[in-house]
Amino acid sequence: MDLGLDVVERNGHAVLAVHGEVDVYTAPQFREQLIQLVDQGHRRIVVDLEGVEFLDSTGLGVLVGGLKRVRSHDGDLALVCTQRRILKVLEITGLTKVFSIYDSVDAAVAGDGQT
Amino acid sequence: MTQVIELEIPARAEFVGIARMAVSALAGVRPGLPYERVDDLRIVVSEACTSAIQAAKEGDRVTVRCFDSPEQLEVCIGAATGAFDSTLAGDGDSGSDEFRISLIRALVDEAEVRPSGSGTELRLVMRRESAGVEGDLPA
Repeated sequence: MDLGLDVVERNGHAVLAVHGEVDVYTAPQFREQLIQLVDQGHRRIVVDLEGVEFLDSTGLGVLVGGLKRVRSHDGDLALVCTQRRILKVLEITGLTKVFSIYDSVDAAVAGDGQT
Repeated sequence: MTQVIELEIPARAEFVGIARMAVSALAGVRPGLPYERVDDLRIVVSEACTSAIQAAKEGDRVTVRCFDSPEQLEVCIGAATGAFDSTLAGDGDSGSDEFRISLIRALVDEAEVRPSGSGTELRLVMRRESAGVEGDLPA
């Protein structure tokens, strides 16, 4: 089971595109990547979940940990997600109220088009 | 007729995906569980196996027993005693524990923790929409 993590910079944001399955096995890589971005000084982070095929509570824990970490440096972490199956997980756990969720990377880096 | 399928995996993170894949494949053998519900089942099995693995000691194994009938698919995840103490009880001590509880409660029709042999098991039930003879397996 592979997890793909690609980072690009867009309009002053670090955009982390996640591909594959996020679970107890792959979550440590994901967590490490978010920690690294914050440690490198990125304060506006966008996590693009459009390529995620599976996400469970372990992945949610990583996202919340990343959000807390970047907010402790006065930054923010937003999500890009239009997949019903992932949005459902975010809704059940109440995280749609915690994260800014956008329907495209363009919207996220522009700060509009929030879903 | 109920078909019984058993799977045993090492209690290690890299095997959770195999349990998830096996159960979701089984869920599609009979009609009555639409794709979205199979997706729900994948999440819940992943949550249960993760709890089991996090409570395991080196060398432990996790059992996944499936009881597949035209009416429902029952999945029992067996693990060491105490593995599921916080899985349904609502006393999880981390964000992931709380999310796990919310997901399991929301996504299956029944969930219960009960003793099993020398350990414990989390029993999960997904009811099929089209219960009855027409949902049975071909002879």
